[in-house]
Amino acid sequence: MRIRLVFCVIAPVIAALLLSLSGPALAHHGFVSWFDMGRLVTVKGTVTSFDWTNPHAYIYLDVKNEKGATEKWTAELGAIAMLTRAGWRKDILKPGDEITASGNPAKDGKPNMHLDKVVLANGQELASAL
Amino acid sequence: MRKRSICSAAALAAMLVLSPAVRGQNAARQTPPPDISGVWQIAKPQGTLFPNGGAPLTPWAEAKFKAANPQTNDPNLGCLPEGMPRFMLSIPLPMEIFQTPTRVVIIREGVQVFRQIYMNRDHLKDLDPTYSGDSVGKWEGDTLVVDTIGLKDSTWVDNAGLPHSEAMRVIERIRRTDHDTLVDDLTIEDPSTFTKPITAQRMWKLKPGWEIQEFVCTENNKYTFQGK
Repeated sequence: MRIRLVFCVIAPVIAALLLSLSGPALAHHGFVSWFDMGRLVTVKGTVTSFDWTNPHAYIYLDVKNEKGATEKWTAELGAIAMLTRAGWRKDILKPGDEITASGNPAKDGKPNMHLDKVVLANGQELASAL
Repeated sequence: MRKRSICSAAALAAMLVLSPAVRGQNAARQTPPPDISGVWQIAKPQGTLFPNGGAPLTPWAEAKFKAANPQTNDPNLGCLPEGMPRFMLSIPLPMEIFQTPTRVVIIREGVQVFRQIYMNRDHLKDLDPTYSGDSVGKWEGDTLVVDTIGLKDSTWVDNAGLPHSEAMRVIERIRRTDHDTLVDDLTIEDPSTFTKPITAQRMWKLKPGWEIQEFVCTENNKYTFQGK
């Protein structure tokens, strides 16, 4: 009876609460208007360039889709000082690095995302920042 | 004879102690202004004043708001300063407050780099509208009361694109509610734009150890401003 209570009632409620907290918390000059903040996409690819710049850092990566064709993806990150505070460095990504990037996809369907986090080849996870 | 000279000395001493100059100096020594200096980061980023709509807009403002497009004509897209009150309302990047007796200066790690609050002076006459406006401040107990006018009407009030006229007035009541918390209660008055004053509160947390870094908006900005 208690196990049923935990799995059938308490856990789903907690999950729902956590999901509701993970929505768009900010709107720096309105990037919410370009990206679907309610969806997450994940791609695996090879870094071709990492722009360590303001107002946003950018990761460019080549991603092989299901058909074997290469898609050129762009991931937009936050400001570099905030990224530094979250553990990023300008040389943390180099061309040729294999990474997994997840983020909010562009509303227009193009291969762009507002980055949520990357997972590096060594398993290290880095979240984007504002 | 001796009694009279003691009385005179006492009277003289009393006059000196009670004189405005001495009293003023003592008062200044005894009550330094509250300390709101430090690096502060917004506790809960909230870029818009009315996330669910319903801003009390006049017909003129309603038309202007309909024409606002965050993807094309937000002046901030092209690295133009946020201006007041957006500088305090909508920016999820840290700021640092410096205090001197005549000035409170806020620097921000963002598009608009600074604003100044002039202490204990009146507004300048014949103000030329600017992004930051003319901010004058005074302490009321533990609260810094700031009055800002002279604001350029090309800025957005918030990230959604609420407009304003050059007659907008922003009143702020800024206080440190505890060692790690700074609160700003803002009131925005602009009868050409809003049918009633708008109030909002923002809260920041102290970030000891954070240093304000450089932020050069035009370095690699991919967004373009397609307004006037």
